[in-house]
Amino acid sequence: MTRDELDRILSAEDRIVPSSGFAASVMDAVRREAATPPPIPFPWKRALPGLVVGIVALAGLIVAGFALRASAIAAAAPATLSLHQLIAAARVAAQQADGAGWIALTLLLTLASVFFSFRATGSRT
Amino acid sequence: MSATEDQADVEKVLAGDASAFEGIVRRWQGPIVNLAYRFCRDRARAEDMAQDAFLRAFRTLASWRREAAFSTWLFALATNLFRTDLRRIPVHPLPLVDIPELRDPRAIDGGLEDEDRDRAVREAVYALPTKYREAILLFYFHEMDVPAAARSLAMPEGTFKARLFRGREVLRSKLAKVRVSPGLREEIP
Repeated sequence: MTRDELDRILSAEDRIVPSSGFAASVMDAVRREAATPPPIPFPWKRALPGLVVGIVALAGLIVAGFALRASAIAAAAPATLSLHQLIAAARVAAQQADGAGWIALTLLLTLASVFFSFRATGSRT
Repeated sequence: MSATEDQADVEKVLAGDASAFEGIVRRWQGPIVNLAYRFCRDRARAEDMAQDAFLRAFRTLASWRREAAFSTWLFALATNLFRTDLRRIPVHPLPLVDIPELRDPRAIDGGLEDEDRDRAVREAVYALPTKYREAILLFYFHEMDVPAAARSLAMPEGTFKARLFRGREVLRSKLAKVRVSPGLREEIP
Protein backbone atom coordinates (compact mmCIF):
# COMPACT_ATOMS: atom_id res chain seq x y z
CA MET A 1 0.00 0.00 0.00
CA THR A 2 1.45 3.34 -1.04
CA ARG A 3 1.48 6.60 0.85
CA ASP A 4 -0.99 8.05 -1.65
CA GLU A 5 -3.32 5.16 -0.99
CA LEU A 6 -3.09 5.74 2.74
CA ASP A 7 -3.65 9.47 2.28
CA ARG A 8 -6.69 8.84 0.12
CA ILE A 9 -8.28 6.39 2.54
CA LEU A 10 -7.55 8.30 5.71
CA SER A 11 -8.54 11.65 4.25
CA ALA A 12 -11.93 10.22 3.36
CA GLU A 13 -12.73 9.55 7.02
CA ASP A 14 -16.46 9.64 7.83
CA ARG A 15 -17.69 12.90 9.26
CA ILE A 16 -20.49 12.97 11.78
CA VAL A 17 -22.99 15.72 12.41
CA PRO A 18 -23.55 16.73 16.04
CA SER A 19 -27.02 15.86 17.30
CA SER A 20 -29.59 18.64 17.09
CA GLY A 21 -29.61 19.27 20.83
CA PHE A 22 -25.85 19.34 21.22
CA ALA A 23 -25.36 23.11 21.21
CA ALA A 24 -28.31 23.61 23.57
CA SER A 25 -26.92 20.98 25.91
CA VAL A 26 -23.51 22.65 25.92
CA MET A 27 -25.08 26.04 26.58
CA ASP A 28 -27.10 24.63 29.50
CA ALA A 29 -23.85 23.39 31.01
CA VAL A 30 -22.19 26.74 30.30
CA ARG A 31 -25.02 28.67 31.96
CA ARG A 32 -24.85 26.39 35.01
CA GLU A 33 -21.12 26.98 35.10
CA ALA A 34 -21.58 30.74 34.80
CA ALA A 35 -24.16 30.73 37.59
CA THR A 36 -21.86 28.89 39.98
CA PRO A 37 -20.01 31.33 42.21
CA PRO A 38 -16.24 31.19 41.83
CA PRO A 39 -14.41 29.11 44.44
CA ILE A 40 -13.22 31.01 47.50
CA PRO A 41 -9.46 31.36 47.22
CA PHE A 42 -7.31 30.15 50.09
CA PRO A 43 -6.49 33.12 52.34
CA TRP A 44 -2.74 32.99 51.83
CA LYS A 45 -2.14 36.48 53.20
CA ARG A 46 -3.69 35.58 56.53
CA ALA A 47 -2.27 32.09 56.71
CA LEU A 48 1.27 32.95 55.67
CA PRO A 49 2.52 34.46 58.98
CA GLY A 50 1.11 31.50 60.90
CA LEU A 51 2.73 29.06 58.48
CA VAL A 52 6.10 30.79 58.73
CA VAL A 53 5.94 30.81 62.54
CA GLY A 54 4.97 27.14 62.53
CA ILE A 55 7.85 26.19 60.22
CA VAL A 56 10.39 28.14 62.26
CA ALA A 57 9.08 26.69 65.53
CA LEU A 58 9.21 23.15 64.15
CA ALA A 59 12.73 23.59 62.85
CA GLY A 60 13.81 25.13 66.17
CA LEU A 61 12.23 22.26 68.09
CA ILE A 62 14.10 19.69 66.03
CA VAL A 63 17.43 21.48 66.40
CA ALA A 64 16.86 21.95 70.16
CA GLY A 65 16.01 18.27 70.53
CA PHE A 66 19.24 17.23 68.89
CA ALA A 67 21.26 19.77 70.90
CA LEU A 68 19.71 18.46 74.12
CA ARG A 69 20.60 14.91 73.19
CA ALA A 70 24.14 15.90 72.31
CA SER A 71 24.60 17.67 75.64
CA ALA A 72 23.21 14.63 77.48
CA ILE A 73 25.74 12.42 75.71
CA ALA A 74 28.51 14.87 76.58
CA ALA A 75 27.44 14.94 80.24
CA ALA A 76 27.42 11.15 80.40
CA ALA A 77 30.91 10.94 78.95
CA PRO A 78 33.88 10.31 81.30
CA ALA A 79 35.56 13.41 82.68
CA THR A 80 38.90 12.61 81.17
CA LEU A 81 38.95 11.77 77.49
CA SER A 82 41.78 10.75 75.35
CA LEU A 83 42.34 12.78 72.21
CA HIS A 84 41.07 9.86 70.14
CA GLN A 85 37.79 9.65 72.14
CA LEU A 86 37.35 13.40 71.96
CA ILE A 87 37.65 13.39 68.17
CA ALA A 88 35.22 10.48 67.92
CA ALA A 89 32.68 12.27 70.17
CA ALA A 90 33.06 15.48 68.18
CA ARG A 91 32.53 13.58 64.97
CA VAL A 92 29.29 12.00 66.30
CA ALA A 93 28.03 15.36 67.52
CA ALA A 94 28.85 16.96 64.19
CA GLN A 95 27.03 14.20 62.33
CA GLN A 96 23.95 14.62 64.53
CA ALA A 97 23.95 18.36 64.11
CA ASP A 98 24.39 17.90 60.38
CA GLY A 99 21.46 15.45 60.33
CA ALA A 100 19.25 17.90 62.19
CA GLY A 101 20.11 20.58 59.71
CA TRP A 102 19.24 18.32 56.82
CA ILE A 103 15.94 17.37 58.44
CA ALA A 104 15.11 21.04 58.96
CA LEU A 105 16.03 21.81 55.37
CA THR A 106 13.93 18.91 54.08
CA LEU A 107 10.97 20.09 56.13
CA LEU A 108 11.36 23.60 54.81
CA LEU A 109 11.56 22.39 51.22
CA THR A 110 8.50 20.17 51.68
CA LEU A 111 6.47 22.99 53.13
CA ALA A 112 7.68 25.36 50.42
CA SER A 113 6.66 22.89 47.69
CA VAL A 114 3.22 22.45 49.30
CA PHE A 115 2.90 26.21 49.50
CA PHE A 116 3.82 26.76 45.85
CA SER A 117 1.66 23.91 44.58
CA PHE A 118 -1.33 25.34 46.48
CA ARG A 119 -0.58 28.73 45.00
CA ALA A 120 -0.24 27.32 41.49
CA THR A 121 -3.51 25.39 41.63
CA GLY A 122 -5.25 28.23 43.42
CA SER A 123 -4.30 30.69 40.72
CA ARG A 124 -5.85 28.49 38.04
CA THR A 125 -9.26 28.17 39.67
CA MET B 1 -14.97 36.26 9.10
CA SER B 2 -15.14 33.46 11.63
CA ALA B 3 -12.00 34.73 13.36
CA THR B 4 -13.48 38.16 13.96
CA GLU B 5 -16.75 36.63 15.12
CA ASP B 6 -14.81 34.41 17.50
CA GLN B 7 -12.91 37.38 18.85
CA ALA B 8 -16.09 39.41 19.32
CA ASP B 9 -17.84 36.54 21.10
CA VAL B 10 -14.86 35.95 23.35
CA GLU B 11 -14.80 39.62 24.33
CA LYS B 12 -18.50 39.49 25.17
CA VAL B 13 -18.10 36.33 27.25
CA LEU B 14 -15.15 37.81 29.11
CA ALA B 15 -17.24 40.88 29.77
CA GLY B 16 -19.80 38.67 31.51
CA ASP B 17 -22.23 37.72 28.73
CA ALA B 18 -22.15 33.91 28.92
CA SER B 19 -24.82 33.57 26.22
CA ALA B 20 -22.32 34.91 23.65
CA PHE B 21 -20.51 31.61 23.99
CA GLU B 22 -23.33 30.03 21.96
CA GLY B 23 -21.91 31.56 18.78
CA ILE B 24 -18.61 29.83 19.44
CA VAL B 25 -20.34 26.53 20.14
CA ARG B 26 -22.42 26.72 16.98
CA ARG B 27 -19.44 27.59 14.80
CA TRP B 28 -17.13 24.95 16.20
CA GLN B 29 -19.41 22.11 17.29
CA GLY B 30 -18.94 20.19 14.03
CA PRO B 31 -15.13 20.20 14.02
CA ILE B 32 -14.81 19.54 17.74
CA VAL B 33 -17.31 16.67 17.76
CA ASN B 34 -15.58 15.19 14.73
CA LEU B 35 -12.19 15.55 16.33
CA ALA B 36 -13.48 13.74 19.42
CA TYR B 37 -15.04 11.09 17.21
CA ARG B 38 -11.71 10.44 15.54
CA PHE B 39 -10.21 9.78 18.93
CA CYS B 40 -12.90 7.51 20.35
CA ARG B 41 -14.97 6.20 17.40
CA ASP B 42 -18.11 6.44 19.52
CA ARG B 43 -20.67 9.07 18.67
CA ALA B 44 -22.21 9.44 22.14
CA ARG B 45 -18.83 9.58 23.81
CA ALA B 46 -17.59 12.03 21.20
CA GLU B 47 -20.41 14.44 22.08
CA ASP B 48 -19.66 14.10 25.79
CA MET B 49 -15.98 14.75 25.16
CA ALA B 50 -16.78 17.71 22.93
CA GLN B 51 -19.09 19.16 25.59
CA ASP B 52 -16.30 18.87 28.15
CA ALA B 53 -13.96 20.62 25.72
CA PHE B 54 -16.39 23.53 25.27
CA LEU B 55 -16.87 23.81 29.02
CA ARG B 56 -13.12 23.83 29.56
CA ALA B 57 -12.82 26.48 26.85
CA PHE B 58 -15.48 28.57 28.58
CA ARG B 59 -13.69 28.31 31.91
CA THR B 60 -10.27 29.15 30.52
CA LEU B 61 -11.26 31.61 27.83
CA ALA B 62 -9.18 34.33 29.46
CA SER B 63 -6.04 32.28 28.81
CA TRP B 64 -6.42 32.58 25.03
CA ARG B 65 -3.61 34.81 23.84
CA ARG B 66 -4.62 36.73 20.78
CA GLU B 67 -1.37 35.98 18.93
CA ALA B 68 -2.77 32.57 17.88
CA ALA B 69 -6.08 32.06 16.11
CA PHE B 70 -8.95 31.14 18.39
CA SER B 71 -9.43 27.90 16.46
CA THR B 72 -5.79 26.94 17.08
CA TRP B 73 -6.23 27.49 20.80
CA LEU B 74 -9.54 25.63 20.84
CA PHE B 75 -8.19 22.62 18.92
CA ALA B 76 -5.12 22.42 21.14
CA LEU B 77 -7.28 22.57 24.26
CA ALA B 78 -9.69 19.96 22.91
CA THR B 79 -6.92 17.66 21.71
CA ASN B 80 -5.22 17.81 25.08
CA LEU B 81 -8.50 17.03 26.83
CA PHE B 82 -9.33 14.15 24.48
CA ARG B 83 -5.89 12.62 24.91
CA THR B 84 -6.29 12.75 28.69
CA ASP B 85 -9.78 11.29 28.45
CA LEU B 86 -8.59 8.46 26.25
CA ARG B 87 -5.77 7.70 28.65
CA ARG B 88 -8.30 7.54 31.49
CA ILE B 89 -10.82 5.36 29.64
CA PRO B 90 -9.02 3.89 26.63
CA VAL B 91 -10.66 2.64 23.50
CA HIS B 92 -9.59 -0.96 23.12
CA PRO B 93 -8.64 -1.48 19.51
CA LEU B 94 -7.92 -4.90 18.10
CA PRO B 95 -4.21 -5.63 18.08
CA LEU B 96 -2.88 -5.25 14.55
CA VAL B 97 -2.38 -8.99 14.20
CA ASP B 98 -6.01 -9.66 15.14
CA ILE B 99 -7.60 -7.48 12.52
CA PRO B 100 -9.51 -10.09 10.48
CA GLU B 101 -8.88 -8.52 7.11
CA LEU B 102 -5.18 -8.74 7.66
CA ARG B 103 -5.25 -12.44 8.38
CA ASP B 104 -6.63 -13.17 4.99
CA PRO B 105 -5.80 -10.20 2.83
CA ARG B 106 -6.52 -11.94 -0.48
CA ALA B 107 -10.23 -12.15 -0.92
CA ILE B 108 -11.77 -14.57 -3.42
CA ASP B 109 -11.84 -11.96 -6.12
CA GLY B 110 -8.16 -11.34 -5.64
CA GLY B 111 -8.45 -8.21 -3.54
CA LEU B 112 -10.40 -6.79 -0.65
CA GLU B 113 -13.40 -4.73 -1.49
CA ASP B 114 -12.77 -1.02 -1.13
CA GLU B 115 -14.95 -0.76 1.93
CA ASP B 116 -13.29 -3.66 3.69
CA ARG B 117 -9.85 -2.39 2.83
CA ASP B 118 -10.65 1.10 4.08
CA ARG B 119 -12.00 -0.38 7.28
CA ALA B 120 -8.87 -2.47 7.69
CA VAL B 121 -6.72 0.62 7.25
CA ARG B 122 -8.71 2.58 9.83
CA GLU B 123 -8.64 -0.26 12.31
CA ALA B 124 -4.92 -0.53 11.77
CA VAL B 125 -4.60 3.17 12.63
CA TYR B 126 -6.43 2.59 15.92
CA ALA B 127 -4.11 -0.31 16.72
CA LEU B 128 -1.02 1.89 16.39
CA PRO B 129 0.91 3.02 19.48
CA THR B 130 -0.73 6.15 20.90
CA LYS B 131 1.91 8.67 19.79
CA TYR B 132 1.76 7.54 16.18
CA ARG B 133 -2.01 7.18 16.19
CA GLU B 134 -2.47 10.73 17.49
CA ALA B 135 -0.11 12.14 14.88
CA ILE B 136 -1.95 10.37 12.08
CA LEU B 137 -5.42 11.28 13.38
CA LEU B 138 -4.54 14.95 13.72
CA PHE B 139 -2.74 15.10 10.39
CA TYR B 140 -5.75 13.88 8.46
CA PHE B 141 -8.21 15.80 10.63
CA HIS B 142 -6.36 19.01 9.71
CA GLU B 143 -6.44 18.01 6.05
CA MET B 144 -2.74 17.15 5.95
CA ASP B 145 -1.69 20.51 7.36
CA VAL B 146 1.44 19.67 9.36
CA PRO B 147 1.79 23.00 11.24
CA ALA B 148 -1.87 22.96 12.31
CA ALA B 149 -1.68 19.35 13.46
CA ALA B 150 1.57 19.97 15.34
CA ARG B 151 0.03 22.99 17.07
CA SER B 152 -2.99 20.92 18.13
CA LEU B 153 -0.69 18.39 19.71
CA ALA B 154 1.43 21.19 21.20
CA MET B 155 4.65 19.75 19.82
CA PRO B 156 7.38 21.02 17.50
CA GLU B 157 6.80 20.38 13.83
CA GLY B 158 9.96 18.28 13.62
CA THR B 159 8.75 15.92 16.33
CA PHE B 160 5.35 15.74 14.72
CA LYS B 161 6.81 14.93 11.30
CA ALA B 162 8.98 12.20 12.80
CA ARG B 163 5.97 10.61 14.50
CA LEU B 164 3.87 10.91 11.40
CA PHE B 165 6.57 9.35 9.27
CA ARG B 166 7.12 6.50 11.71
CA GLY B 167 3.38 5.94 12.10
CA ARG B 168 2.91 5.73 8.35
CA GLU B 169 5.83 3.35 8.04
CA VAL B 170 4.36 1.06 10.69
CA LEU B 171 0.98 1.23 8.97
CA ARG B 172 2.45 0.49 5.57
CA SER B 173 4.44 -2.44 6.87
CA LYS B 174 1.39 -3.89 8.60
CA LEU B 175 -0.82 -3.31 5.61
CA ALA B 176 1.68 -4.32 2.97
CA LYS B 177 -0.31 -7.41 2.10
CA VAL B 178 -3.59 -5.62 1.65
CA ARG B 179 -4.42 -5.60 -2.01
CA VAL B 180 -6.14 -2.67 -3.54
CA SER B 181 -9.19 -3.28 -5.64
CA PRO B 182 -8.96 -3.67 -9.43
CA GLY B 183 -8.21 -0.40 -11.10
CA LEU B 184 -5.99 0.71 -8.27
CA ARG B 185 -2.34 -0.06 -7.86
CA GLU B 186 -1.32 -3.37 -6.31
CA GLU B 187 1.78 -3.70 -4.23
CA ILE B 188 1.87 -7.46 -3.88
CA PRO B 189 3.96 -8.99 -6.64
